[in-house]
Amino acid sequence: MNKMNGLLTGLLGLTIFTNCETNDDDQPEIILDAVTVENIHAPNDVIDRATGEVTEVRPFRYFSLEKNELVESQGGNWDVGFKGTTIIVNSGTSGSGSARAAVVSGIFDELDEVPASASFVSDGSGGMAIPTGSGNGWYNYNSSTRVISPIPGRILLFKTNGGNYAKVEILSYYQNNPPLAEVSSGTTPGAFYTFRYILQPDGSKNF
Amino acid sequence: MNRFNLNKYKKVLLLTFLIAAEAAAFPGDLISIKDRSGNPIPHAVVHIGKDSVFAVSREGAFEIPPQLGPNQWVEITALGYDSRLIQVKELHLVTTLNLQEKIGQLGEVVVSATRTDRSVENLPMPVTIIGRKQIQETGGMRLSEVLREQTGLQVVGNHGSGLQMQGLSSDYILILLDGEPLIGRTAGTFDLDRISVSNIERIEVLRGPSSAIYGSEAMAGVINIITKNSQKKVTATLESRYRSFNTLDVSGEVGLNKEDWNLYAFFNRFSTDGFDLTPGEPGKTQSPYQANTAQIKLGRKMNKWDLKVYGRFYSENSDNIMQVVDGTTRQLVDMTGDRLELNLNPTVSFRPNENWLLTMRSMSSVFETNTLMEFQEDRKVLDEQDFRQNYHRTELQVDHQLDSKQLLTIGMGHLAETVSATRYDDDNRFDAGYIFLQHQWDPTGKWNIVTGVRGDLHSQYGERLSPKISGMYAFSDSFSWQMSLGAGFKAPDFRQLLLNFNNAAAGYYVFGANMVQAGIERLQAQGLVQQLLLDPTQFGQLQAESSQAINTGFRWKISKDLLFQGNFFQNNISNLIETAPVARLASGQNAFSYFNIANVITRGAELDWTYRITDDLQLSFGYMLLDARDLDVMDRISNGEIFRRDSQNRTQRVNRSDYGGLFNRSRHSGNIKISYKEPYSGINVALRGIYRGRFGFGDINGNLILDDPAEYAKGLTSWNLTLNKSLQNGILVEVGGFNLTNQTNIYDPTNPGTMLFLGAKLPLHQVLHSN
Repeated sequence: MNKMNGLLTGLLGLTIFTNCETNDDDQPEIILDAVTVENIHAPNDVIDRATGEVTEVRPFRYFSLEKNELVESQGGNWDVGFKGTTIIVNSGTSGSGSARAAVVSGIFDELDEVPASASFVSDGSGGMAIPTGSGNGWYNYNSSTRVISPIPGRILLFKTNGGNYAKVEILSYYQNNPPLAEVSSGTTPGAFYTFRYILQPDGSKNF
Repeated sequence: MNRFNLNKYKKVLLLTFLIAAEAAAFPGDLISIKDRSGNPIPHAVVHIGKDSVFAVSREGAFEIPPQLGPNQWVEITALGYDSRLIQVKELHLVTTLNLQEKIGQLGEVVVSATRTDRSVENLPMPVTIIGRKQIQETGGMRLSEVLREQTGLQVVGNHGSGLQMQGLSSDYILILLDGEPLIGRTAGTFDLDRISVSNIERIEVLRGPSSAIYGSEAMAGVINIITKNSQKKVTATLESRYRSFNTLDVSGEVGLNKEDWNLYAFFNRFSTDGFDLTPGEPGKTQSPYQANTAQIKLGRKMNKWDLKVYGRFYSENSDNIMQVVDGTTRQLVDMTGDRLELNLNPTVSFRPNENWLLTMRSMSSVFETNTLMEFQEDRKVLDEQDFRQNYHRTELQVDHQLDSKQLLTIGMGHLAETVSATRYDDDNRFDAGYIFLQHQWDPTGKWNIVTGVRGDLHSQYGERLSPKISGMYAFSDSFSWQMSLGAGFKAPDFRQLLLNFNNAAAGYYVFGANMVQAGIERLQAQGLVQQLLLDPTQFGQLQAESSQAINTGFRWKISKDLLFQGNFFQNNISNLIETAPVARLASGQNAFSYFNIANVITRGAELDWTYRITDDLQLSFGYMLLDARDLDVMDRISNGEIFRRDSQNRTQRVNRSDYGGLFNRSRHSGNIKISYKEPYSGINVALRGIYRGRFGFGDINGNLILDDPAEYAKGLTSWNLTLNKSLQNGILVEVGGFNLTNQTNIYDPTNPGTMLFLGAKLPLHQVLHSN
């Protein structure tokens, strides 16, 4: 099962400070620590190679960014879902929630606020919030090595069902987050998501 | 000396000698002109004073004319050799005069550079000649093995053994066989392993764009393969080599010369078990294959007419296995492939007088491939592909010597191509007409200038004008500088125009530029299109890829035994064709088509030293510096838009200094060659060290560019050795090896590691004659 390294010290600290400190001017800067989530196994549907038809449908793996945990069913309070290389948000055509997402470019650690240009959208028939296909959304597919690699510098921004903003960087599509140089499409088990994220629980756009 | 020999052989003044009164001058002494190996030079010419010029006999000998004073100077010249000046009194002391070959093949005549005969020395553009001796010394069987030893040429494995020149890949190099273009490319690569070397007389390597005379494809340069002719009355030779990986190459050739007819016939059979760089995985790196090559050349030379018909046939079949991984199931797949090629090339030349030459030639070719992939388990077909291309070209060329310093060439032609393939719709036909003009001018002995322009009118990509100007200035007899500016282009290939492909398993579509409009409309009608990513008016607007290039360099004969040559180049290539998504589909996948996207620059230097230490010992060094980069990537890096991942897969920004340029290009490459004839045993030794520096093999850290040390394959040196010896009756035996230190790299699928070989050549005509 998935191991989650929830280092929520920042989050805890925030709670403590908001409880004891009332003077906004002296409020020390709060450092949010990134959470790393490892090995969410989200295999794709089984497809007949010759015809392209789906022969076995598999479920999405649903995840709550607020609680840093997997959610069992589509009906639950999840923000983001994974299956194969497809990432969905809980809204529009994908779910009954109000989660939204945007894709921006930059360095995860340097992105200290939600850019004004980011437009948060739902999944819809006109397109997914995180576009699918190689080079469009979060990954590149190398047709000669058959390796899926997260596009460096792509940051996924989410607005959760709870109305908070989160920034997410997908680190790996392969089991145990191996360096890409060690990934071999034939032997490294795929469809294992490892990502890190920071959730800003105060509803602001700052990270 | 006539530099651009419209009249291939010099005007020869045959003098009649009326009297031989003064016996004191030793008239009648027979002097033989020979090369350093003792072979007669039948095309040598004797010059005495200003007016007296005559040719030597067919056996390469001449008589000293009577009435010459002992201090009279006599000059012996011969194409390809350093001339020799000697006084009559010394001439009487000898019976043989040896001429020394010009170093570095400078004296060789090149056809492909100007489409007229012109010696390397006087060409204002960079050209290298690989002669028969060098080809023999390589010990190679296929063309890739000869070319990979040359400075500035790399062989890169990608759908076959493709050539790389000046940092440009096989797609941009025109391959000519006896001056006529060869067709048949897979994913842009012309597979050099399709060409057997046993019937090659010499190879001309012309660097820099030559679209001004050849049109499309001649963007990086031209390789002209010149096959043997029958020179003697009767020749018949058997030749064979056997080497590692159970590779056998057997050739036979027959040549006949009777009156004004000549005939040459050649057959070659090649077979190999292939090799494997990844023994842990099913299938071999190089498929086992067998290939047959046959060639017939028939010619008739008459007074003013010259007729030739050349024909070539090639067939190949290969087999291999591969593994298909689908989730956790692994299945083995049998692959078989066939290739077939046919060429027919008749030529008629007419020379009404010494100032005019008219040549009509045509080339008709067929190229076919088919591949079949079947699951071993149930023989279900995984994939089957057929491809057939027909090519026909007819051309008229007129050469006119305006005066002794100017030669004008005008050519025009038509070409028609049809192509049909599994992934293309119906039959497709392209037509093109073209005209080219070239002016060669030697204003003084020091200068020469070649200007040319070609216009192409093509049914697919419209008009193109390709100019080129080249000039050379000789500062002295030993040092000259040359410069050549030219434009090149490459028309979109069939795949880029005609592909109609749907990857059912992954759910994406790829359409050629001609197909994309209809393809997208069809997908829209089926309700599969979610969003168009491009304005449909941009569909199908595919232009030819084009380049502008400069080549400039020098030839410096430091002494008659030491030659230093250099060429500096820069190619600015724009409109490179790449795939880009045109529509997002309901399935989440994309539909792609081809567009003019990238801009690339390649630049560098090619340097060659050749040092003849003694007649029996020659040493040479070659070096190439190459810098090839994508300008758009450079811009994106400058704008901070490209990132990469560290070993924990976290994002970093890429700096300009991290960028390593295009994949598969070595910044440094070079060679060292030693050729030695051991005087006592008569054994020829050719030792070559061929270095290919590290190169980027592919993206590892996810940003699709070369910027990480893990993305480089290590450089390596292949030490190749050939020993051969000619026996008395012309039999040649040889033994040798390639890559003796067994350096391999899984990113170079054309390098199998150490190969040892032995071979023999049996000239039947000589053997039978001497018995």
